[in-house]
Amino acid sequence: MAQQGEVWIFAEQRDGNLMTVSLELLNKGKELAGQLSTPLAAVLLGEQVDDLAQQLVGYGAQKVYALENKKLKFYQSGAYARLIAELIGTHRPELFLLGATMIGMDLAPRVAAKVKTGLTAHCSDLYLEEMQGQKKLIAAVPGWGGNFVVKIACPKATPQMATVRSGVFEKPAKMQSGNGQIVKIAAAITSEDELAETVEMVESQPTGLKLEDADIVVGGGWGFQSVGGFRLAEELAGTLGGATAGSRPAVDAGWVKEDRMIGSSGKTIAPKLFISAGASGAMHFTTGFSKAKVIVAIDQNPKAPIFEVADIGLVGDLGKIIPCFLQELRKEKSGV
Amino acid sequence: MDFTFSRPHEMLRSMVREYAEKEVAPKWESYAQEGDEFPCETLSRCGQLGLIGLLVPKKYGGSEMGYLARMIAIEEISKVYAGLGANLRGWSLVPHLLTTAGTEEQKEKYLPALCRGEIQGSIATTEATSGSDFGAWPVEVTTDGNDYIINCRKVMISRSTVSDVFGILVKGEKGYSTFLIEKNMPGVQTGHREKLISCTSRNSPTGDLVITNCRVSKDYLVGPEGKGIGIALSTIGGAGRTGGAGVCLGIAEASFDIALKYSKERIIYGKPLHDLQSIKFMLGDMATRIECAKFLSYSVSWMQDQGRKSAELNKETAMAKLYASETAMSNTLKAIEILGGYGTAPEFGLIPRLKSALDMIAAAGSNNTLRRNIGDAVVA
Amino acid sequence: MSFHCIVCIKQVPHPGHFSKINLDPVTGAIRRAGIPSVLNPLDKNVIEEALCIRERFSGKVTAITMGPPQAREVLEEAYALGADEGVLLCDLTLAGADSLATAYTLAKGIQKIGKYDLVLCGNESIDGATQQVGPQLAELLGIPHVTHVVEVNWLNEREAVVKRAIEYGYLKVKVKMPAVMTVVKSINTCRLPSVLDIMGAAGKEVQKWGCCDINGATECVGLPGSPTRVIGIVQVESKRKREMLKGSEEEMAKSAVKRLREYGVI
Repeated sequence: MAQQGEVWIFAEQRDGNLMTVSLELLNKGKELAGQLSTPLAAVLLGEQVDDLAQQLVGYGAQKVYALENKKLKFYQSGAYARLIAELIGTHRPELFLLGATMIGMDLAPRVAAKVKTGLTAHCSDLYLEEMQGQKKLIAAVPGWGGNFVVKIACPKATPQMATVRSGVFEKPAKMQSGNGQIVKIAAAITSEDELAETVEMVESQPTGLKLEDADIVVGGGWGFQSVGGFRLAEELAGTLGGATAGSRPAVDAGWVKEDRMIGSSGKTIAPKLFISAGASGAMHFTTGFSKAKVIVAIDQNPKAPIFEVADIGLVGDLGKIIPCFLQELRKEKSGV
Repeated sequence: MDFTFSRPHEMLRSMVREYAEKEVAPKWESYAQEGDEFPCETLSRCGQLGLIGLLVPKKYGGSEMGYLARMIAIEEISKVYAGLGANLRGWSLVPHLLTTAGTEEQKEKYLPALCRGEIQGSIATTEATSGSDFGAWPVEVTTDGNDYIINCRKVMISRSTVSDVFGILVKGEKGYSTFLIEKNMPGVQTGHREKLISCTSRNSPTGDLVITNCRVSKDYLVGPEGKGIGIALSTIGGAGRTGGAGVCLGIAEASFDIALKYSKERIIYGKPLHDLQSIKFMLGDMATRIECAKFLSYSVSWMQDQGRKSAELNKETAMAKLYASETAMSNTLKAIEILGGYGTAPEFGLIPRLKSALDMIAAAGSNNTLRRNIGDAVVA
Repeated sequence: MSFHCIVCIKQVPHPGHFSKINLDPVTGAIRRAGIPSVLNPLDKNVIEEALCIRERFSGKVTAITMGPPQAREVLEEAYALGADEGVLLCDLTLAGADSLATAYTLAKGIQKIGKYDLVLCGNESIDGATQQVGPQLAELLGIPHVTHVVEVNWLNEREAVVKRAIEYGYLKVKVKMPAVMTVVKSINTCRLPSVLDIMGAAGKEVQKWGCCDINGATECVGLPGSPTRVIGIVQVESKRKREMLKGSEEEMAKSAVKRLREYGVI
C-alpha cells in the first residue's frame, strides 16, 4: 500500500505574524491527520521564518516546510504558487488546506491548477468519509438559501485542496513548546516569478477592536433606524467589552464601516457571544456568525428568521430592550 | 399573436430600469418635495441615453426605436418617480410634432438639439375658455403679406417658464393652424405660474404663454394652414395620451410593489399580512388591473409601431390612458389601505404617488373627455 | 499601438430570485428553469475597465463567455456597452465544469482568439463565488495574475502598478503584460448603454465555438475535466436552543443576562 500523504496547512504570515485562520486550520488539520494516521505539516514562506516555524510547532505542526528568501517577505503570486507546487510535486501530500483570506483565495487556485487538482472554496466544514475503500476529504459548502449543505469531494486528484474562512474552526489552545521537524529550504526566485511583483504592503489599523479577535460581538441591522442610529448597539458592545458589527443595510446607512460588515459578502466570525439586534436574519447575514458559541437575537417581529438560528430570543422594541439589558448588566457589574 | 418583447426592448427596459434605480431613485424625494423643474443635467442625461428621441428618425438625432420603446421607457422611469416620467413624456411631444408634420428645415433646425436635451419644447393648445375641447376661439392669427401675426393667450402650459420652443395651435382666417414659436421671439411672454399640486407632482412649472403681435414667417408654420387640429391631435393623442398611459402604468406598478413588500414583512395574528384573505384579494385585484393596463398600453404602442396612424387609434389611445389612470388611482389607494397606519408615512412614498395619480386624472387628456371619445367611437 | 483586452463574463441567475433556486439532489447542478438570468453584476465593471483601457491605449475589446446558447445575451450586453467582438463557448460537453475545467475551456478559447495584452475578469460571480477561475486561467495561459484589483496605474502599455485589496489595506503589485487581472466593484463606475447602442447590439453576430473548434481535450472539459464533484446534498438541523424569553422588557433582559452568565459567555 502506498504511503499515505501528509496533511498540509498553508501558514499564512503577514508582516511576521501568523494569520489566525492558519492556526485554526492547524487545529483542524491535527484531527484530520490523526484520522489518516499521517503527519501534520505547515508550509511557511517568508523573509525570516525561524521564529514563526517554532510557533507553528508549538501549535501542533509535526513538520514545518519553511521556505526563506528576502524576496518572499510579501505575498508573491508567482513565486509562492510555484514554490508550493514544487514542494507538492516532491512530497505528494494528501490534503492541503488554506485560509480563505484575500491572499489565500489568490494563491490556492493557482496552486491547484499547477498540480491539476481539485479545490473547494469557502467550506463551512471538513471531514473524512469512506469513498471506494479510501478515506476522502468531504468539503461542506452552504447551499443557496435554505437549511442545506452541498458535499463536495475530490475523488481522484491529490492533494485534495480546500479554503476555509476564519472562524469556521476553533482557535487552537495556547501555544506550548512542541516537538516538530523544521525543514528549512532556501528558495530561489526566478525572473518569471517576478512578472507580477509585490513591491509594497500597506495596512491601516482597523478602528476599534478587530472583529476576528473579539469574544463578544453586537451585530446590528436595519432595525436601528427606528432609534435613530447605532448608538445603542455601540453602548451595548462597550458595556460588554466587545466589538460592534453590522449587516449590509447597516453599512449602507453609514452606521458601521465596511470592514465591520458581517455576512456572505463581509466577514465570518465565531465569537463566544453574538448578539443580533434589529436584523431579521436573512441567510447572507446569519452565515457570517452561525458558528458563534451563543447567539442572542433581539427583533420586533416574532416570526423573523433570526430566531431560528438563535439560542435566546427577545421579541420587542430594541429601543426599550437594549436599555433594559444595559441596566441589568450594570447592576451585575456593580454587584447589586 | 406574439406577446413576447423583442431583445432590444428587453435590453432597453433593463437600461432604463438601471438608470432610474441608480441615478433617479436617490434624488426623487427631493425632486418631489421641491416640485421645481428638473435640472438641465437630467434633461441632457435623458438625451444622452436616447430617451427623448425614441420617435425621431436617426438622421435628425433620434433612434426611431418606436412607440413601444417609448412606452417602456416612460413606464420604467415612472415606477421610480412619476415626475420624471411625466417630463420625459412632455419632452418628447414637440419632437413628435416636428417629426410627423414639420418641414425638412424645421426638423434639421430643432430636432437634434431637442433629442440631445439641449433645448426643450412644450405643446400649447389650451386656452382660458377651453381645454380638451377646441371650442370657438377668437381669431388669433392673421396674415400680413408673407408673414403671420399671432395674438393669443395659452394657459396651463407645462414647463412654460423653461421651454425654449412651443408648438402652438391657433385659429386663423383659414381655420386652425400649428406654429413653432421660439421663446425669444419679440412678443412672446411666459408668466403667471400656477400653484397647483399637479405642477409639483409633475415637476412642471405650469403657466401662461402670452403672444402679442408676434410676427413670424411661413418658415414657422408646421404643416398646411388650416390643418392644425389634425396635426395637434396626432401628437396629443398619439404621443401625449400614450405617454400619460406610461406614467400611470409606472405609478400603478410602484404602488403595488410597495403594498406587496409590506404585506410580506408585516406580521399580524402571527402570520404575514397577505395571509388575510381580504388583503390577498386586494393584491390580486391590483395585479390584474396592472396586466389589463399593460395590455392596453403595449398593444396600442405595437399598433403604432406597425404604422397605424394616431388618428385611427383614437379609441385605443383613449382606452389606454383612461384605464391606466384609473388603475394608478385605485392601486395607490388600495396600497394606502394595505399599509394601514403607515399608508401615509413618508418613508413608504405613497402620498407623492397619490398626488401624481390625482394629477394624471386631468393630464394627458382628461379621463372624462377620453370617455366621450371612446363612447363616440363605440357607437359610431 | 493596439491593445487587445479580453473580458471574461458570465450569465448568472438573477440575484433577486436566489431563494427560489433548487439544486438537483443527485448532481448538485442548479435547476435554472423559470429563473431569469442576468449578466454577473461585477462583469459590468470588468467591461467598463476594458473600455477605459481602450480609450487610453486604443485597441480592441473582445468579450468571451462559456455557457448555454442563451448566454449570448451577455455578449449582446457587452456589445451594447462597447465591446468590439464576442465569443460564446457553447457545447454540451462543456457542461458540469468546476472552476478548473472552466478555466481550461476559457484558456483554449482565448488561445484561439489569438494575440492579447490583458485578460480581465470579475473577482467572483454572484452564483459560484469561488474566486478561482481567474488565477487558474492565468496558470493555464502561462501568464501572471493579480486578484482583488481596486486600482490600476499604467506605466506604459506593457506594465502597470496595481493596488490589490487585502483585509485591512492593500498590496502594490507591479505586473507585466500579458496578464490576468480580476477586479472588484469599487474599481470604477459603469456607464449605461444608450438606445442606439442597444439597437446596434441586439442580434449582432457572436462567434460560437464548440469543444472541437477550440481544440479542447474531452477529458479536460466539462464534468470529466472537473477534479471536484458534488457527491450529495444534506439537510442541516439547527442545533440552536431557540429559547424565546417572556415577559416585559425588564423581565426579558433580566432572564437573558442570567442565561448568558450560565452559559459562561459574560
